[in-house]
Amino acid sequence: MSTVLQQRAAALLLERRSDGRLWAIRDGESSAVRVARCFPWSAPARYISLRDDRRKEFCLIAEPADLDEPSRQALEESLIEADFVLRIEAIVTLKEEIEIRSWEVETAQGRRSFQTKRDDWPRSVPGGGVLIRDVAGDLLHIADPEQLDAASRDMLSALID
Amino acid sequence: MNRVLRQTDLEIIRRYTRQPDRLPAVLRRAIEDEWGGGAVQLYALADLDASMRLAEIWLCLGERKLAIAQPAAGDTGYRLKIIDREQVRAVDERRGLSCNVLTLLGEPGEPALAVLRYTHRQRLAMENIRFVLEEALEGRSVPGGDGDFEYVDGLAKPIREAQALVTRQEMAVLWRLLGYLRPYRKQVAAGLVAAVFITLLSLAPPLIAGRLIDRVVEPVQAGTLSLAAGSRIAWIAVTAMALVYLLKQLCSWIRLRVMSVLGELVARDLRTELYEHLQTLSLAFFSRKKTGGLITRVSADTDRLWEFLALGAIDVSLAILVLIGLACILLYLDWRLGLIMILPVPLLCWGIFFHSGRLKKRFLRAWRKWSDVTDVLSDTIPGMRVVKAFHQEARETARFNRRNSLVTAEFNRIHAQWTSFWPALLLVIHAMTVTVWVFALPRLLGTGDVGSATLSAGTFVSFLLYMTMFIAPVETIGQMTRIGNRATSSAHRVFEVLDTEPEVVERPRPVRVDTIRGHVRFENVTFGYDGVRQVIRDVGFEVLPGETVGLVGPSGGGKSTLVNLLARFFDVTGGRITVDGIDLRDLETSSYRRQIGIVLQDPYLFYGTVAENIRYGVPEASEQETVEAAMAANAHDFVCALEHGYDTLVGERGHTLSGGERQRISIARAILRNPTLLMLDEATSSVDTQTERKIQDALDRLTAGRTVIAIAHRLSTLHKADRILVVEDGKITEQGTHRELLENAASTYRRLYDMQRDLARGA
Repeated sequence: MSTVLQQRAAALLLERRSDGRLWAIRDGESSAVRVARCFPWSAPARYISLRDDRRKEFCLIAEPADLDEPSRQALEESLIEADFVLRIEAIVTLKEEIEIRSWEVETAQGRRSFQTKRDDWPRSVPGGGVLIRDVAGDLLHIADPEQLDAASRDMLSALID
Repeated sequence: MNRVLRQTDLEIIRRYTRQPDRLPAVLRRAIEDEWGGGAVQLYALADLDASMRLAEIWLCLGERKLAIAQPAAGDTGYRLKIIDREQVRAVDERRGLSCNVLTLLGEPGEPALAVLRYTHRQRLAMENIRFVLEEALEGRSVPGGDGDFEYVDGLAKPIREAQALVTRQEMAVLWRLLGYLRPYRKQVAAGLVAAVFITLLSLAPPLIAGRLIDRVVEPVQAGTLSLAAGSRIAWIAVTAMALVYLLKQLCSWIRLRVMSVLGELVARDLRTELYEHLQTLSLAFFSRKKTGGLITRVSADTDRLWEFLALGAIDVSLAILVLIGLACILLYLDWRLGLIMILPVPLLCWGIFFHSGRLKKRFLRAWRKWSDVTDVLSDTIPGMRVVKAFHQEARETARFNRRNSLVTAEFNRIHAQWTSFWPALLLVIHAMTVTVWVFALPRLLGTGDVGSATLSAGTFVSFLLYMTMFIAPVETIGQMTRIGNRATSSAHRVFEVLDTEPEVVERPRPVRVDTIRGHVRFENVTFGYDGVRQVIRDVGFEVLPGETVGLVGPSGGGKSTLVNLLARFFDVTGGRITVDGIDLRDLETSSYRRQIGIVLQDPYLFYGTVAENIRYGVPEASEQETVEAAMAANAHDFVCALEHGYDTLVGERGHTLSGGERQRISIARAILRNPTLLMLDEATSSVDTQTERKIQDALDRLTAGRTVIAIAHRLSTLHKADRILVVEDGKITEQGTHRELLENAASTYRRLYDMQRDLARGA
């Protein structure tokens, strides 16, 4: 199976065109594609699905290392957007309200306020860290809760182990 | 269509999102100036920049132009990029885990006109713009929405739907709740007076005991009072004490009786008001809220409010009264010893409050771990066949045991905390008692400093008795926050429902129609459940009285929405629907609905007998009418075969009927109602072919002589329809008779028909 996937990947070219999109070219066929990791937390480096505008899979890349260098570069650029989650560096406030929990956090991308449902607990993810989903569906990741400052850890203590 | 901006939504944005609650006015003016006067119709915020940092980039849509604005460097307003909408050739949206990318594309091969990145929070507002642009590319125009409303609604919606009610004024909620006591003023007054008496009477026995010792026991022992006089006074005092206890318990009885009954009455009033209000709300409300949540509001939340009104509110005020009374009397008896007891009280209250806070955190952890345990149960019990088929019993048991141990450990930590706290608190109180003894003894024995006041044994006994009364009110006051929080959160949930306005509102003087003929017209009808995205676009058709019209088309095309609009479960957002020439919105809903009948794909039977379910729309129907309706619906035979016939209990907790049987009961229900206008929503799609035939026979009898609009998944059921409309993507794309539509080899109807025929052959 993986040999077949490797062969497919070897025959695949990826490029970021001026329209800002990732294009995949294989066997003379080209398509604007969007990328999705099959195992975004447990095996983020492998198994990347390229899907066309109709959301059909154009190609599955089992091992990005099998791609040529420019293609791999183009893929990685696109993955930055596809993988993006806010990375929490400190908890500023955490309040329990009637049916929600209201957070204010310092993230690597700037300060953010968000809300989670009270029975929506942060969950550990296979690759490490804790993932929080807010009511709008945005994801926030704490890479290592132990590395947070004492006040943040104290606020989180009821919600994670 | 302009919709009214909700103040609560604006408050949600200001309070929770750290982003502007509307497009800044100065930016709107700058953009409209740049466009040469065109107004901003819709706008959205792209909250991520190219380097994936949080940012403030606005995308604004006008009739002919687009504008992208981002704050200029050095806080000098905004940098604008204007794009002609004509330049946009395609719109591409990519969704990531938390970053969506909207790309506005120009000519093929040319650089993108704009690339906007945003988190899911901005998606609803952004999708509105994408929808309008895509519609324009398809040559369709969308009526202008209210940009402010769409932006605010899209942003606030997820929070609004997660949180019952948003207000910072907790006290306002409590006052509103207490307002429900107004009709019961006399009972409230009786309860309060009883509470005051309980407080005063509680303070009397220790005082009597003290005075008895000082003025009777000691003088008799010292020989300064005769035994006879002392006995007489002592018996009077004991009788007085007995009377005080009797009176106190009488007041306690009055208070408990009055307030518990009162709490029930208020909870009943709230439940009635809540349920009556629920009946007036539109279907959209019920699709937004989970059934379990609404049931909790009517049952558990109102019950919790009973607890607060009957006991909590009075308990807290009683505790405060008792503490004040105790403080006064202790200071009155002996101010030095009084201060020893009173000064630590705020500290004790704070200690209980602090302990409650820590315990709350612990309970949160336990609650989380408890939900891990219930997750395993709700996973495995319904999926037990899979567990057994894959022989995973041991693994599932291990998973359960692991989580069970974790939750036990967490609860043990809670027990460790409270079992340490309360003895420690009592130790502090005992320490206060000892301190009182330390300071009191020299004065009691007369060995203190010269000049220090002596203390009588009676006063000291009174003092000791009062000290035992401290613990209960201190504990109640420490729990006050928890009691208040529980009540306000329940009140929030109840008031949220009561404050929800029905979306389908009757006009002030609606037209009452006792008999309709069933002449239906859809005139340029547009409708969207949400924002500017339309699920019905400019639909027009007419159904004459007695005509049967079939609606077919792919799932999600808008067929059920058309039926929902005709039943007036929702109001159109554009155009109008008329029945006998009268706009549906002008008709009196109750008189109109009395003349319509609906048979749904998944018929709902209420808990009750078969007969009660058939008579649901006409409760006064006779046995004969019921049986005739069941016969016409091909239901009579199977009903009579049931052990209890028409008296068989069905519904949620009753006898289980098959889908086809339930469907025939629902048809009997519709036949008995005798509607002029009948709507069938895929009434035969979930049954086997044999049952379908029986249902179809029943439907043929039901539809005779009525105006019928029938949605059908199986096209074979529409042979007899006078006309068939094909609904795709919110529009009517084809119409004609079954034969006419089949003649067109390229028609969607022909394609669907061929597919179903091939499937039937394959089967």
